[in-house]
Amino acid sequence: MEAEDPFERLKSMPPRGHHALLGIYHVAAGADWAELACPFSAEFLLDAGSGLVSSGPVISLIDAAAGAAIIARTRRWEPMATLDLRVDYLRAARPECTLHARATCHRVTRRVAFTRCEVNDGEPANPVAFAAASFFFTSEP
Amino acid sequence: MIERAPYAQLLGVCEWTDADGNVGLAMPASPALEGRQGFLYGGVIGSLLELACLAALAGEGEAKEERPRPINITIDFLRGGLMVESYAQARIVRLGKRVVNVDAFCWQTDRDNPIATGRMHILRPPGA
Repeated sequence: MEAEDPFERLKSMPPRGHHALLGIYHVAAGADWAELACPFSAEFLLDAGSGLVSSGPVISLIDAAAGAAIIARTRRWEPMATLDLRVDYLRAARPECTLHARATCHRVTRRVAFTRCEVNDGEPANPVAFAAASFFFTSEP
Repeated sequence: MIERAPYAQLLGVCEWTDADGNVGLAMPASPALEGRQGFLYGGVIGSLLELACLAALAGEGEAKEERPRPINITIDFLRGGLMVESYAQARIVRLGKRVVNVDAFCWQTDRDNPIATGRMHILRPPGA
């Protein structure tokens, strides 16, 4: 039975494309949320000298976690596209730290899903970023 | 200078300058940038827009010692990105003493049909 569940299928899929490049992996999930993580790489730096981490991997991790949260909630395997994504960078991520993104899908309509996401680099009480993203189900009605 | 960033190199981003001297970024398609099959990953498009904003600010002769810090970014995805080369350019809307407002857009085959647009607030380092 479990193999039929779309979210279990998502979790068991080998990473490919950009998820594989960043090393994004599944951490935990609930009825309407999913937590994904991404280990630090020196290739994420914006400036090799200063150790400043680019916020690019944060954007990609949020996109991935938000998509997973929608499947965790809907338990449906539906093609979708990100409509918009807004990220507040609360502070710079520290080098050498694994990024964790926990996204919640708080509302799903027939065509649109709304998500929020919080990102931390090891201390959930001291987040790196807050985000809001909406998605559109692309299949024809 | 953006193209020397390890993260820009990870994405395969390089810089170019248009006839008016404005900086732009180019990013060839590669399997490592793919999201759902046949489409560029949304997070990659967002990251390219963000790098374009930072490149535009660097083009203003921003102080090199301390990097400007992103405050936030808003990305609108207009259409799916195909697995072809992507380009991005940004325009500084307001260069304040402390905060910079930047607009960016990303296109592929047709500059007049962007696949995504973005807006960013960036904090300038003190004394810049």
